[in-house]
Amino acid sequence: MFLVGSFFLFAAFLITTCIFVIFSKNPVNSVLFLVLAFLNSTFLFILIGAEFVGIILAIVYIGAVAILFLFVVMMLDIQVTTLMFNIKRYIPLALLFAGIILAEIIYLTVFKTSKDNLDTFIRSKNNTEQIGDVLYTEYFIDFQLSGIVLLLAMIGAIVLTHVYRPTIKRQNIESQNSTTAEDRVKLVKIKSGEGIKDD
Amino acid sequence: MTSLSFELTIGILKIFSFVVPVLVSVALLVYLERKVLGAVQLRKGPNVVGPFGILQSFADVLKLLTKENLLPSSSNKFLFIFAPMLTLILSLIAWAVIPISSTYVIANINIGILYLFAVSSFGVYGVIIAGWASNSKYPFLGALRSAAQMISYEVSIGFVIITVLICVGSLNLIDIVESQKNMWFAIPLLPMFVIFIISALAETNRLPFDLPEDEATLVAGFFTEYSSISFGLFFLAEYANMILMSSLTVILFLGGWYPPIDIFPLNAIPGIFWFIIKVFLILFVFLWVRATFPRYRYDQLMRLGWKIFLPFTLIWVVITSAFLFYFGLLPN
Repeated sequence: MFLVGSFFLFAAFLITTCIFVIFSKNPVNSVLFLVLAFLNSTFLFILIGAEFVGIILAIVYIGAVAILFLFVVMMLDIQVTTLMFNIKRYIPLALLFAGIILAEIIYLTVFKTSKDNLDTFIRSKNNTEQIGDVLYTEYFIDFQLSGIVLLLAMIGAIVLTHVYRPTIKRQNIESQNSTTAEDRVKLVKIKSGEGIKDD
Repeated sequence: MTSLSFELTIGILKIFSFVVPVLVSVALLVYLERKVLGAVQLRKGPNVVGPFGILQSFADVLKLLTKENLLPSSSNKFLFIFAPMLTLILSLIAWAVIPISSTYVIANINIGILYLFAVSSFGVYGVIIAGWASNSKYPFLGALRSAAQMISYEVSIGFVIITVLICVGSLNLIDIVESQKNMWFAIPLLPMFVIFIISALAETNRLPFDLPEDEATLVAGFFTEYSSISFGLFFLAEYANMILMSSLTVILFLGGWYPPIDIFPLNAIPGIFWFIIKVFLILFVFLWVRATFPRYRYDQLMRLGWKIFLPFTLIWVVITSAFLFYFGLLPN
């Protein structure tokens, strides 16, 4: 009873915050609602007993991804009114993705495994250990492939944004640290009336 | 029904038994900091309010409470008030999983260390929301610095935690401490211990890494616009976070509630005292560092995080796991 009640509570919060993500006028508020949405999906994962997945979701998405979103959005100077009329353009694409995800959920729940099976599988062992057991054995190739995809994305982002500018002055910390007083300061005896000869 | 309400009462009492000591020790930590700084700089420090000035921080809190809470007219009002609350809440809910002794903990969960890591990574939201909601340039710069800094140092903290977890084989904080009964991890993993303390300084925005509130360039950083008790909440949260990170260091590296050597006069002392003494020592290191080192420049801070700590911790993860695997010491 308690579990079912909490499920509906968090699911309702999740959907509400998602709606606010789309319809907030201020993009910063959108990102903050997105954080709330992530938080609620974390709770949902914890409710089905997948606490490892839930907390990893929180660490990765709330602790890193959403902060970077927020970081970028705060720096942009967006005119609030120009954002709103673009929404209709994205509706077909959004419906397409929603359809794909719905099809996946139906496939997984109806055709792949029966629900009792999944439930006993999840509760048979500490789920951190379960993931550890299969990640590097059964799903080794998939795991490595997703790593390569992430690496490619990272290299792509660096190539796109990093422009080498020869005019920029760079600091060489090693040479800064290895300088001594003799390199910088010199004691010069000056004869009266002659001044310093610069050499 | 009575058993439920009974459990609820016990739970609430347990929570209070953590929160109240934490808040009181925050006040004492502020006093300690001023005394330590005073001693390092050859002055007396606070010595007027109460015996040896020990009531100074309580007097400061009372002063803050009586001040007017100003709301800048161009700020985002809701987020402006919400940010300090969020910061304090996050620094207090982390205590739910900290084990003070082998039995004394509010929630002994399987993924305690991940929970702590998650909560400490949320801490940046308070700072970044405060900086943005103030709608003023210095707080905003402070918020941006803080976001970049805390994300950078979380990466190395994550790898340090992974190294410890490889040696333990569990994410449970009590298991982590109990696996250090014979040898504290600070000895075999000394470089990781040092990196963890330095990253903890950066994560709690303490000197020499306090660039988000750098008073020499940013007035007061992200809380420039805050006054009265909303400033007080940030202040409380910062020191509560210091105590939290010190406890985490003690749990991960200094054997939690275990005495240094398991012999008679030492192991007769209750574990909770050992825990408090160790936390106190780490906190003293925090204050000592503050009094000794000048502030880092921003590019030096980023360089230290990404170009030194990240490769170093990555290599140590590989070395540690290779060592444990080769000698068959991996935990089951």
